[in-house]
Amino acid sequence: MSSTSGSPSTPSPAVEARGDGSAPPSVRTEDLWKTYGEGETAVHAVQRVSITIERGEFVVLSGPSGSGKTTLVNLIGGLTDPSRGKVWVAGEEVGAMSERARARMRLEHIGFVFQAFNLLPVLSALENAEFPLMLRGVDRDTRRAAVRELFEEIGLGGLEDRRPGALSGGQQQRVAVARAVLGAPALVLADEPTANLDTSASDALLGVMELLNQERHVTFIFCTHDPFVMRRARRIIRLVDGHVERDAEKEPGDLPSWVLEPVGT
Amino acid sequence: MTERARVVVRIALRNVRRQARRSLLTASAMVLGIALLMFVRALEAGGHVMYVESAVRMGTGHVSLEHPEYAATRDLVDRIPAEYLELATEAISAATTPDELRAVFPRVTVGGLVQSASSSIPASVSGVDPAREAPISFLRESIVEGRFLEPGDRLEAIVGVGVAERLRVEPGSRLVLMAEDIEGEIESQLVLVTGIFRTGIPEVDRGVVQLPLETAREWLALGEDATSLSAVLTSDRRTGEIARDVRARLEREGVEPGAVAVRPWWEAMPDLHAGLQADTVQTYIMLLILLAIVALAVVNSVLMAVLNRTREFGVLRSLGLNRRSVGGMVIVEGSVLALLSGIAGMGLGLAVAFGVFRDGVDISFALGDGELAFAGAIVDPVIQPVLQTGDAIAIFLIVVAIGVLASLYPAWHATRIEPAEAMKTDD
Repeated sequence: MSSTSGSPSTPSPAVEARGDGSAPPSVRTEDLWKTYGEGETAVHAVQRVSITIERGEFVVLSGPSGSGKTTLVNLIGGLTDPSRGKVWVAGEEVGAMSERARARMRLEHIGFVFQAFNLLPVLSALENAEFPLMLRGVDRDTRRAAVRELFEEIGLGGLEDRRPGALSGGQQQRVAVARAVLGAPALVLADEPTANLDTSASDALLGVMELLNQERHVTFIFCTHDPFVMRRARRIIRLVDGHVERDAEKEPGDLPSWVLEPVGT
Repeated sequence: MTERARVVVRIALRNVRRQARRSLLTASAMVLGIALLMFVRALEAGGHVMYVESAVRMGTGHVSLEHPEYAATRDLVDRIPAEYLELATEAISAATTPDELRAVFPRVTVGGLVQSASSSIPASVSGVDPAREAPISFLRESIVEGRFLEPGDRLEAIVGVGVAERLRVEPGSRLVLMAEDIEGEIESQLVLVTGIFRTGIPEVDRGVVQLPLETAREWLALGEDATSLSAVLTSDRRTGEIARDVRARLEREGVEPGAVAVRPWWEAMPDLHAGLQADTVQTYIMLLILLAIVALAVVNSVLMAVLNRTREFGVLRSLGLNRRSVGGMVIVEGSVLALLSGIAGMGLGLAVAFGVFRDGVDISFALGDGELAFAGAIVDPVIQPVLQTGDAIAIFLIVVAIGVLASLYPAWHATRIEPAEAMKTDD
């Protein structure tokens, strides 16, 4: 586990390999920038971000609204291109991938949980959850069994056939989480996953995620303001104005005071 | 089909259903467009069948045999000798089945002068065989006074209503026909008006006289020769094929193309053919405009569907669906809409053409007096729609193709959606 700021002088290959033969980091960014607009009106949503997140980490990106958390997650997921700098996911440079390869990477290695659920309205809860598995070509019985099992665990049993419009906000978010974690991707990017959930539902969801993290070494990166999530993280990266203000490990259960401090104090 | 393709198609189909109102509105535009296309084509085809039918029954036939020069010279020197007439009749019988041959008849036609006690006018005088022509003769159906020629008639003749008016004759009146015979001598023939016809074609009503074939042959010293031999068929479907077959058979019998020209009606009546083609071109232009409207309806509907679902496409992309699959989904939506509309439109078109208007469409309100002829053919004010299977299939395929093509732009637009930007949108 490591964190750095600034530009390293080492060359940056498209595919990373480690000398000791161990797996490459889950995520690495190198002098990452995302700028909107030009000249005097340019806004740097993300700037000078160089971080490394090893496989199996449980990380929270914190920071005030507009600090660049969602943009950073989108850059890591290849949903948007950086203005400068590079991103590697599981050792492969996202910017060097073709569009098709990037889609395949998202399908096979990354699970997304969005703040606004983003379920597909024409699919049932079960179909939404199994969607990535369908795209991967997992056979129907296998994927349905996996969905039903997870649904039971996170309190969605019996709601499989409901369309998103017939589910509460909390239920929809649980379906979205199920969609992200089913098939055990190497990395889950979750943007405010608990924003619309009550405490018990949040607890259940985080429990599932922790289990996946511990048993299958799935890497979790959360964007959140929720102290409940921050408490359970083992590392917090605080962003301010698009750059990393602080990056520190912590014990699960602790909530360092600096995490909640207003900007500039 | 791969699992990915199945899920893409499933989502596309559900989206068509989910946006039922929009789908229905688009489909309605397409259904009406297709139905109109079908109906207009059926009506046009019906009109053309009618024109051709009336024109060939005026005497040209579906397949017409003449000396190659006769049409230009109208000289009896350019005639068909009796032995060729016999060979040609046999060739026509051999090239057709009994079911498809309605009549084969020779004619003698000359330009001459028709004289009554009060006046004289130029006219086209034809010797016809009443027995052979009676079943198909358009003039027989057009008799308004007296009767048509009958087997056994010798000096009887029928004249157009215009001829009768200008010469002030009526059934029972005498006329003298004058024309050059085969030797170039002016010969006269006395005839009795036995019937007056009104076809609606001005040049026929004002300038045609018919008398028995044998009387004409004697008058003009033609022996058993004739100026033309015509075959009227039950359908126009095989006209070209039969004409080629007859031509080949005559050549095998030693009849040179320089002696007898075998022509399908469109070569024998180029004016009518050109008129019908011009009519078809006009119809196609109208059809193109209709198809363009249909295409715009699909583009509009599918593009709106894409724009309204920007966020959804962003989600699909972020979940790992590649651009091609996203584009494919949009094309499936447009195609399904076009396919369903195509089927419904065909059904409606057929129902309108052959249900509501099964007794024909009366266009007499649009036809004034003296406008019942078109390029020498008769226009029946009641047009019977005719289904051209090829046309129906072509219209269906074109509309479905338009559905697919019209989805291409919205599909391209959907593939350009950037996931991160798309998920910022509210929809």
